[in-house]
Amino acid sequence: METLLNVLVVGILLGGIYGLVSIGLNLIFGVIRIVNFAQGELVMLGMYGAFLAYSMLGLDPYVSTLIVMPAMFLFGVIVQRVAIQPLQAESSMQIFATFGLLTVLQNVVLVFTRGEGYSVATKVASFSIAIGEIRITGTHLIILIAVTAISVLLHLFLQRTLMGKSIRAVTQDRQAARLMGINVERTFMVTFDIGSALAGLAGALIAPIYTLSPGIGDNFILAAFAVVVLGGLGSVAGAWAGGMIVGIVEAFAGYYIDPELKQAIWFLIFLLVLVIRPTGLSGQVGAEEVGFREQS
Amino acid sequence: MSRLLEVLGMSAGYGLAPVLHDIGLYVDSGEVVAVIGANGVGKTTLLRTIAGIIQPSAGRIAFDGRPIGSTPAHDIVGQGLALVPEGGRLFPFMTVLENLELGAFNPSSREKTRTTLDEVMMLFPILAERKTQLAGSLSGGERQMCAIARALMSRPRLLMLDEPSAGLSPVMVERVFDMLRSVVASRNVTVLLVEQHVEDAPEIAQRAYVIERGRIVKTGSGAELMNDPDVQRAYMGL
Amino acid sequence: MSAIPSTTRTWCLYAGGLLVTLLPLAVLSGDLFWVNILIYTYLFAGLAVAWNIIGGFGGQFSLGHGVFFAVGAYMTARLYLGWEISPWLGMIPGALLCATIGPLVFWPTFRLKGSFFAIATLAFNEVGLVMANYLHTVTGGPRGLQIPFKAGLGNMIFADQCIWALIMFGFMALCVAITIVLMRSRLGYYLLAVREDEEAAHAAGIDVTRVKLRDTALSAALASIGGSLFAMYIRTIDPPTLFSLADIGVKFALIALIGGIGTIIGPVLGAFLIIPAESYLRAVMGGGLPGLHLVVMGGVMLLAALFMRRGVAGALDALWRRRSRSAS
Repeated sequence: METLLNVLVVGILLGGIYGLVSIGLNLIFGVIRIVNFAQGELVMLGMYGAFLAYSMLGLDPYVSTLIVMPAMFLFGVIVQRVAIQPLQAESSMQIFATFGLLTVLQNVVLVFTRGEGYSVATKVASFSIAIGEIRITGTHLIILIAVTAISVLLHLFLQRTLMGKSIRAVTQDRQAARLMGINVERTFMVTFDIGSALAGLAGALIAPIYTLSPGIGDNFILAAFAVVVLGGLGSVAGAWAGGMIVGIVEAFAGYYIDPELKQAIWFLIFLLVLVIRPTGLSGQVGAEEVGFREQS
Repeated sequence: MSRLLEVLGMSAGYGLAPVLHDIGLYVDSGEVVAVIGANGVGKTTLLRTIAGIIQPSAGRIAFDGRPIGSTPAHDIVGQGLALVPEGGRLFPFMTVLENLELGAFNPSSREKTRTTLDEVMMLFPILAERKTQLAGSLSGGERQMCAIARALMSRPRLLMLDEPSAGLSPVMVERVFDMLRSVVASRNVTVLLVEQHVEDAPEIAQRAYVIERGRIVKTGSGAELMNDPDVQRAYMGL
Repeated sequence: MSAIPSTTRTWCLYAGGLLVTLLPLAVLSGDLFWVNILIYTYLFAGLAVAWNIIGGFGGQFSLGHGVFFAVGAYMTARLYLGWEISPWLGMIPGALLCATIGPLVFWPTFRLKGSFFAIATLAFNEVGLVMANYLHTVTGGPRGLQIPFKAGLGNMIFADQCIWALIMFGFMALCVAITIVLMRSRLGYYLLAVREDEEAAHAAGIDVTRVKLRDTALSAALASIGGSLFAMYIRTIDPPTLFSLADIGVKFALIALIGGIGTIIGPVLGAFLIIPAESYLRAVMGGGLPGLHLVVMGGVMLLAALFMRRGVAGALDALWRRRSRSAS
């Protein structure tokens, strides 16, 4: 029973991380349907941003989010204009473009850091609470709180504000959205920028847990796609739940089946979801790209 | 005084092959005008081009004297021209109320959303009942009503409808047209609609155009066209 | 340079074109550095042509071909190491296996459009990587398999690199030939129709799924053979190499893209552009600042996606058409 609880807790903590790094992709892939393979790199840049703020300005990573988020928003603006906007209609080219971007970003960071690993420290790490036998550090707690809080805020934004509703409208029927007076192209832009900022935020928040390396984004990108598809594109609650499921499944698979196979398990889940229930948990949007309705 | 909507020599289509050729029509303020034609002749393309979703490859479109041929769709609705697309195209996972709110999204009508909402709810009491229901779960007739109401939320001067009777039972079609009639009467809205069924259109339209294979082939009053053998042919798509 | 060759004359044209690619080998046969590059160029040209069958012509953008490549590599290596089966024969089980599992795995994902299909195949690749690491007894786990050097025709191990270059050339020629036959056959016409408009093709009575399944089988089998050759050439295979997206999975598609997806000769052109350039970049830049050459490659990928959607072959084709139009 103890071990079950341990594994569960590990899974939940992992789920929090996966959920957090997936929030940005949920917007970008869920709303605009951009296959952004560079999303992991956006998280990575957020992590390195936190490191820079820490090493140059002595800022705690959680404080550095105030700088990292706007910076990543701006970066998203550039990336969107240069690489994404021109390829709106062509998903295979998007794959190349964002994969090329991934390669560029990873290796630029590699060039600059010359392969040195960095870490970011925070006072919060020394704080921890105990559940039974397990100690949960403050850094992990903050991640759990953050993923939940951000999800709630994002959900409220999408459900209650006019701007949020216009984003949902674009997701559900692009042409009808135009007829409402919604500037679909500008919606795409802003959504991408917000998604980029959220990725940066996620990076800054998880920076204390990892040793930074340029390739660290690779750990997250496929998990993020799995979470987003599992949760149902564009559904904030779905992505939160999806993150938890992926995290818990990985923890259980790692413990009860084989630690070496744990990642394969959620890839398999992802494939199963795509094949059996492509609309994911939320069952809402997502049907189009999977082959049904045509957008224009 | 310029006509509310004027189209001259317009051609448009998707990709390389034009669907519409040399289209000319007009709508005066206060009128109800119909464009009749069989399936696939370009009726939807016509409305989409006027609404700005498709750019015309030739010709002029003027709304209230101002050229709108190269204006994008999201700016056109703000000028007073609203389109109810075929099937309504409501946002399926949003409530009736949210759909209506979005109808007023464009800047010129946004501040008046509350007022317009009240007015529209009075016109369409059934929507007031179904306010919190997801639009995707409405029946065919309710969906069409909601779509028309949503278009009205932008306080348009010209309301365009793409086959409002499509997929509806004759009873529902009658109801929709009744609704349109009262909308025209109460809200000083001009209407341009396209229809497949020639017998429906003259009921509501004073004037009509007949479109065949992308061209306007005839025009006249509703009654004239009803009895015209060429129109019968166009209707049958022969 | 239309997609479907229509006469025997065109066969000769393709044969001639391919023979032209042997010229660099003839010229540079003394320089091991360049022969090595040519070996990879021919190999990847063939692999990209194989990918193109389903990825370009079939419209199913796969990022999972690395799995077929790896299966061929592991199968051949294992059969040789464990049972001393000549790789010339050992290629075949791998190819047959891939011809079966390829369609089996891709079939349920065919209805996924564009990006979803690509991500699904990506997941397929990642599952392959995990399994390769896990199944120690078969694949040698993370350390992989090493094939000791023992020259011989039956072993498919040669001291002379030029022989390898010729073998890889043969592989490339095989892939091109199969593609030509495919495109000329009714299957090929179906493929193009399917790519242009699936719904219309379906309405015309073409069994879209069966066409795609056959493409996938062929494409996978050829990729497997390529993997077998790779294994015997490089004689050390491990999961990070075989399942690397940047070096294998995405590269097939990238080469086809730059050369021209949906043309027969495009991927060959693409390989001749990319592989030598990349090898050269790596040699020149790789030493100084690690990762710099990849920055360039990534930039190339990004720029290609933005500006070269029809690839070099596509651009040439457009030029050709414009000239013949203005001439007449």
